[in-house]
Amino acid sequence: MLFRKLLRTIWRYKAQFISMIIMVLLGVGVFVGFQGEWKSIQDDTFSFYDSTGFADYRLVCETGYSSEEMDKISTISGVEKVSRYVSAKTNESKQNDVVAVTVTTNFEVSGFIVISGEDYDSTASDSIWISDMYAEKNDYKLNDEMTLKYGAISITGKIKGLIKSSEYLICTPGENQMMPDFDTYGYVYISPEMYKNALGGFELYPEIHVISDLEKKEFSDKANEKLGRTNLLLTKDEVASYSEAQGEASEGKTMASILPVIFLGIAVLIMATTMQRLTINEKTQIGTLKALGFRDSKIVRHYTLFGLFIGLVGSILGIVFGYFIAWYIFNPGGSMGTYFDLPSWAIHMPWWTFLVVAGVVGFMTLISYFAAKNMLKGNAADALKPYTPKAMKRLKIEDSKGWRRLKFSTKWNLRDLFRHKARSSMTLFGVFGCTVLLVASFLMMDSMKGFVNKFYYGSMNYESQISLKEETTNEKALEMVSYYDADYSASTNVSLNEEAIAMDIYHVSHDYVKFLDPNMDFLTLEDTGVYLGQRLIESNNLKIGDKFEVSIFGSDAKYTLKLAGELRTLTKGVVMSQKYADEIGIIYKINQLFTNKTKENISKDTAFGDYISTTKSRNDIIKSFDSFMEVMYVMIGALIVLSIILGIVVLYNLGTMSYFERYRELSTLKVVGFRDKRIGKLLITQNMWLTVVGFLVGLPAGIGITCVLMKALASEYEMKMIFGWMTFVIPAIVMFGVSFLVSLMVARKNRKIDMVEALKVPE
Amino acid sequence: MNLINFKNVSRIYKVGDHEQKALDNVNLDLKSGKFIVILGPSGAGKSTLLNLLGGLDSPTSGTIVVNNKDISTLNNNELADYRAETVGFVFQSYNLIPTLTVFENVSLVKEIVKDPLSVNEMLEQVGLGDHKDKFPSELSGGEQQRVSIARALAKNPKILLCDEPTGALDSETGAMVLKVLLNMARNYHKTIIIVTHNQNIAKMADVIIRVKSGHIKEIINQDKPLSVDEVDW
Repeated sequence: MLFRKLLRTIWRYKAQFISMIIMVLLGVGVFVGFQGEWKSIQDDTFSFYDSTGFADYRLVCETGYSSEEMDKISTISGVEKVSRYVSAKTNESKQNDVVAVTVTTNFEVSGFIVISGEDYDSTASDSIWISDMYAEKNDYKLNDEMTLKYGAISITGKIKGLIKSSEYLICTPGENQMMPDFDTYGYVYISPEMYKNALGGFELYPEIHVISDLEKKEFSDKANEKLGRTNLLLTKDEVASYSEAQGEASEGKTMASILPVIFLGIAVLIMATTMQRLTINEKTQIGTLKALGFRDSKIVRHYTLFGLFIGLVGSILGIVFGYFIAWYIFNPGGSMGTYFDLPSWAIHMPWWTFLVVAGVVGFMTLISYFAAKNMLKGNAADALKPYTPKAMKRLKIEDSKGWRRLKFSTKWNLRDLFRHKARSSMTLFGVFGCTVLLVASFLMMDSMKGFVNKFYYGSMNYESQISLKEETTNEKALEMVSYYDADYSASTNVSLNEEAIAMDIYHVSHDYVKFLDPNMDFLTLEDTGVYLGQRLIESNNLKIGDKFEVSIFGSDAKYTLKLAGELRTLTKGVVMSQKYADEIGIIYKINQLFTNKTKENISKDTAFGDYISTTKSRNDIIKSFDSFMEVMYVMIGALIVLSIILGIVVLYNLGTMSYFERYRELSTLKVVGFRDKRIGKLLITQNMWLTVVGFLVGLPAGIGITCVLMKALASEYEMKMIFGWMTFVIPAIVMFGVSFLVSLMVARKNRKIDMVEALKVPE
Repeated sequence: MNLINFKNVSRIYKVGDHEQKALDNVNLDLKSGKFIVILGPSGAGKSTLLNLLGGLDSPTSGTIVVNNKDISTLNNNELADYRAETVGFVFQSYNLIPTLTVFENVSLVKEIVKDPLSVNEMLEQVGLGDHKDKFPSELSGGEQQRVSIARALAKNPKILLCDEPTGALDSETGAMVLKVLLNMARNYHKTIIIVTHNQNIAKMADVIIRVKSGHIKEIINQDKPLSVDEVDW
């Protein structure tokens, strides 16, 4: 019988029940979804690394390693697997695309998985295993013939398999391209045998890849000892396919640990208030059951089921919704799919997410338990009495001079706010929370957009960027500089305190490339020293004027550099002028030109065609970064939309609660002769006050949260918080608009007040 | 001159598939300045009569003219104005706003009425001049009802409508409240209509209307109504 009552009560309060379920659904959904996003990136990439033998360490030497040297490394205790490895950029014959030819002598290290076609054969002399994504974009099929050229060397073979390799999880040709573009860049694997043949019996493996649990220092010491010389060592954290992917996961984790937690907090607290109020509304019924002879425990159990029901239904739907959100952000067809080349896109969830959700259900069950218990206090006669809110007491502000001059509506609303503190503070908290979410989301978005705009549209003043082939000499490059009227740069990798970073040397005479200082203003590279990004300055504990040492990859050369200033960069690197590089004697190779000529004109002009690896227009690069940023935008966009929905549900729910709590007072005003519009204005005014306060408090809190987020994301982006007027205006319009419309919806209810019925109820 | 005229007034409520006639073809003429008591058992239709007269409800058929105005055809806003200007209500459950003080509860009428009576004067008249700054929850039932009377009269309405005004009070307090109500009405020349079960109150009325099953059974004009003090409570 009580179960039927439960169902009928749910039906009676369907609007509140639905809004509570929606709140739990949104709170749990956003929480679960954002946790799922980073966990899926982490787990799916790790499983990919495992299945393809992603190396923990890479020993690098430009002159190459012999198989004996590799064997020596394999004898180090703690080393599991080793392989000699090479990845060389070649030109594909059909479209002249850049294709990285990859060889690993031990397929269990830095290998690949076959998506379709034949398994890898280490003895095959004419077989090519090609990236499935590159093959699809460039119309290569199994058994097609493919030719790759590196200078005078030509490699031809048949495509035997379409593959994915975790070495190319983020398949970009270099640091200046952030997003993969399989139309123009891809990779293939060939066997060591075929590689040897192509080189005419000669072998060059500039890397040894190692799978080992040893600490970096221990491994480095042991490797140097075994090889009898100092070797450049890269950990997996210094390889883009690992660091970028894990950076993305850690960025998601940071986001998930702040904004969705706020989201869940708002939903649960407001849900708890609503649940308590709902039980209060049932007080007479609770009393009736008690008077009829039902035991307290049975009544409490009955009412506890309400919380359990809402918690369970909301949480189950929330988990489903959460998986959808995680999928929406992390799926091969979305923006993440253009970034990662993964074989599996399964959604994974941290185990404790379900514990948190179970906690939410438990919390809601407890709330209804205590609310029902509270209504049963005293004897049956006490329980039968309808609930009366606390008696009104004078407020302290009533002693002030201005109080008497206030309008009745102001006094009424002020006292009502203090009389129903729980409801008022929850409304305030709801507005505050949604404001924080909106301001933080918009601020993040504006800062990113501002940074991208300044960086790309401001710093990149050129029309095209020409990447030179590896074999291009500096003399030839300078001829090209003069021909294309270009600025140029030389980029190489150096090691700073055992961390691999980029070193970019610029010659800027046309202002085609500009640099940004920490305040996002343009700076001119001084010839007195080098410039580092914020991350490197902090991690190496450097100050302007300090000197530090870098060593060039693949050589024993070491240089002492003086820190001249800080700049904002997208990559971790050291930047200097060519003049300074010449002064301290750095040997470099020009590999990038920046010119005002268009990509089309450069392509048509064959004068230096043989020396050009790729030409990218500024728009190509911006487009690539836009896609990169889209991952973040998708997350922020989802958060904005869901915050608005949460705001609507929260404000409507609390507005309706406020309306029902004041139903009798509103009826009295109506009987006395107040018009509907006037009464509606009273309700709207109160909500708007709370919105103003909640917004004003939420605004700085939102900025604060963004500061925390930006600091946490500093390892990913060196951004400065950028305040556009839209940052505040849009959240303000949204919050006040939502609040006003919801208040209006609630206020319109007073037209339906049944004065006769309302005033019959005894006090 | 009649202040109130009911012509063939019916009020039918729909309860599920059933129709319930709360008032059935009622005709009634009442003059101004009188103390009128409507008597009848529960469900007789007396509160419906009062609610229709007060503009809280509209008739299903028939016309109600009050002070030369047909209120049965008024829209929501016009009815609100009618309630503000023409009638004052006193309920059994007082219906004061709990978040407003005594003074503010009465002052409330200033928000909607052009020529209200002095709030201080009203509160003095009902004997609550010293309780102006108290909240309703700090008053006894009798005191709350007197605030309610002060609020109803402060609007300076033509008619005072009271639904069981002493129903929630003990007989002594009830008598005191009635005394205040009658004195105030006479001092300010108001027509009072009280709906009650209490036969004793009827002894003080100029006109007694007996209602039963939605019909007016009897209208008695009393030439010599008793005063409050003369009634044996």
